[in-house]
Amino acid sequence: MFPVLGVQGDKALRHLTLSPDIELVDSPRHASVLLVAGEIPADRFEPLRRVHDQLPYPFTTLWFRCEPWPHLENVTRIDDLDVLPAALVTAYHELMEGRRESSPRILLDKPPNPWEGAGDFGQGGEGMMGGVPYGRPMAMNMEDDIRDGLTLDSLTFRLGPFFFAFPPGMAAEITLQGDLVQTWKTQRAPYPQSLDPVFFAARKRLVPIAALELARARHHLYRLFHALHLAGLESASLSALRLANNLSTTSTLDGLRRYLSRSGFFRLAAIKGGELGPEQARRIGGPAARAAGLDEDLRSDDAGYRRLGFSPVCQASGDTRARWRQVLAEIDQSLQLARQAERDDVSTSEVDRIETPRGPWLEKRPEDASALLDEILPGQEWGDALATIASLDVAAVAEAPLDTQTTGESPITELSDDEGGPA
Amino acid sequence: MIVEELVLPVLMVFFMLAAGAYTVAVLDRVIAGALGTPQTGSVWIAPLARGAWLMTQHANATEAPDWRAWRLAPALYLSLAAIGLAVVPWSGSLVATDLVTSVVLWGSVEALATVVIFLHGWSANALFALIGGYRYVALGLSYILISMFVLIGVALPAESLQFTQVVASQEELWNVIRQPLGLPLFLIVGLGMTFWGPLNLADSADLAGGTAAEISGPPRLVWDVARAAMLVAFSGVATSAFLGGWLGPWLPGPLWVAIKMLAVLLVLLLLGRLLPRLAPERCVTLMWVILLPLSFIDLVWAGVGALL
Amino acid sequence: MALMTLFVILIFSLGAGILMQCLPMRRQTKPPWSQRAPFLGGGTPDSHAWSRYHIRYYPMTLLLIAFEMEMMFMYPWAVVFVEKGMKAMMEMGMFLAILSVGIVYAWREGVFKWQ
Repeated sequence: MFPVLGVQGDKALRHLTLSPDIELVDSPRHASVLLVAGEIPADRFEPLRRVHDQLPYPFTTLWFRCEPWPHLENVTRIDDLDVLPAALVTAYHELMEGRRESSPRILLDKPPNPWEGAGDFGQGGEGMMGGVPYGRPMAMNMEDDIRDGLTLDSLTFRLGPFFFAFPPGMAAEITLQGDLVQTWKTQRAPYPQSLDPVFFAARKRLVPIAALELARARHHLYRLFHALHLAGLESASLSALRLANNLSTTSTLDGLRRYLSRSGFFRLAAIKGGELGPEQARRIGGPAARAAGLDEDLRSDDAGYRRLGFSPVCQASGDTRARWRQVLAEIDQSLQLARQAERDDVSTSEVDRIETPRGPWLEKRPEDASALLDEILPGQEWGDALATIASLDVAAVAEAPLDTQTTGESPITELSDDEGGPA
Repeated sequence: MIVEELVLPVLMVFFMLAAGAYTVAVLDRVIAGALGTPQTGSVWIAPLARGAWLMTQHANATEAPDWRAWRLAPALYLSLAAIGLAVVPWSGSLVATDLVTSVVLWGSVEALATVVIFLHGWSANALFALIGGYRYVALGLSYILISMFVLIGVALPAESLQFTQVVASQEELWNVIRQPLGLPLFLIVGLGMTFWGPLNLADSADLAGGTAAEISGPPRLVWDVARAAMLVAFSGVATSAFLGGWLGPWLPGPLWVAIKMLAVLLVLLLLGRLLPRLAPERCVTLMWVILLPLSFIDLVWAGVGALL
Repeated sequence: MALMTLFVILIFSLGAGILMQCLPMRRQTKPPWSQRAPFLGGGTPDSHAWSRYHIRYYPMTLLLIAFEMEMMFMYPWAVVFVEKGMKAMMEMGMFLAILSVGIVYAWREGVFKWQ
């Protein structure tokens, strides 16, 4: 499956990751089943059509908590997460046994630009570099390289909103020189993410700190799951996910943390760069800001937390590596706080100053910070750039908590695919 | 004579290609399962089912691929693996082609692998595949020297560039003990050649599959099989060069080779699943600044050892 | 004869690889243009991917050439090494020492970095 997650789409994704019958792939070319998970906002229909058409024949589409487009025939809509894996497997088997027709293509079968026979020899254009051979222009240099000033071709393209390494729903226009990011322009902000209901409850009344901290740790572990998949550490990403799903006050992070440092995740993997300046750190807030050395955490103002001896942990350098160290430290801290709070039965003492895992929630919920990426990604190597994105929690916080929204603004989505083995 | 020198070797190599690729698929699945990847069904049938699925899926096309190169690259990679398997000796006399320069031939297989993998990334005319191809070249040019020095190291005591001689020279002591740096360095080369696990810079996750991002159906099957077969060929060469090939007590030679190859495969597949993918830049620095000098030391060590 | 066998293996495996791809594909229709667009998560490219690509490890490839030349000498050297004894050792040692200086210099110049 090709995971682009959304608020509730990502929940389905995590569920499917742990389903033994389903293999999720990163490219639609490797899939036989497309899963549209969650509501797709209308402005992302066009990209969805493109991705839909990119699956090789034969393929089929399942819609999960999302209204299938009316002009499609023979579509399956599923609303129950528990039956989703079985439905995917059934669809796959029906497809392979010929009992289910392959989905039709949606877009017109024509090249992106008309080109055939425009030139003297039936090629696409005129002159040396003109025209659109096979429907597209050739790459042309636009500007000098930002690192060494060499003038070679740059490639400009739009990526997303269904690219698995981006936060769900995000799309950007990117120019690459070689594998270095030359310019980055975030075009569509990621879907607002739903937080655990306990954070919303904490805005209304005092809640037990144990529940709050477990939800916080779970949020960070889900992000770690995603980043470790990107770093090629499949088994560690799965253990992060399992840990998150079974999180309790007796859980510990020690095993995972030891494994990460021994495997060389912090030294060898592509997690260099992505430093945030103090001003940028303040704009995004939360763990990313503390990783940059800002000692700000609304939990310090809360009497309940003070009773537990809370003081914020910080890192100094503010780069991708520091952010992951910070996240690990915060998960650890949250588990510890949860343990203490459960033992002493401590509750919060503030309702209008809540530190969410995404950042401080004072008058307003944490807002979208994806515009930050335009500033910090240029100059980074592609792998480092994606790792930076994975380490930054840029999506805004949605109006409603997880699981309560069924319609409306939520976004989500995506695709999936196949299950390679036959069940 | 024709039967003995042509038909048998060809059958042998094809049998190893098929059996080897299947073994890698099964082993990798077992290891993934042991490390926590959820899976159902029989590990024995799953690779076959996957193969059948890829044969039914249609091959993808991009807007303007270099068709010939795109189809040729997986097939060429498969032939490189076949050539590698052909020089692996199963006993003193049982070897598909007992070339006097088989070490050199294997060196050229390693060098050509870089070309083929780049060709695969380039010919799709798609962004991610292209980046994967160019990244791989950086890796390919870095590991090749390490591999050469390490292999020359095993050729020194044998006074020959023939794998059967290299094995024979380990009668008293296997090279893995005589040249302790050799095998670990060579295993890293193996991961690089097959862009497996930590050195998967060509088909990496951050490129949505890299050079394989745009392929589906039969070409993808050939590519996957070729990759697995290359890993087997590599483990065969590592067995001959460092683990004493067919040498061993009690059991017949070919069985020893098979056991040792399985052990090498197991180590490689485990490393592949346990380590994170290296950043390309760090990978190049690591290879040139740390591993290459280590391979010098290995060579000097081997040289001194051979003279004493 | 060994070379002949090797050649036959090459031809057969190449043929098998190509046939495995082409035989099933003969029955398949050509994918529509909408499928052939490069996968960019729903995005679109401005141009073809083929371009004058910025290879950032370019200086490293030059360094490699120096070593590749050395390898040519090394194969015959390996065969006669034991026979020639210490003399061969010293000769190759000097050669390697000179090349190692090259690596150190290249490292200092940042050749292994993405320029």
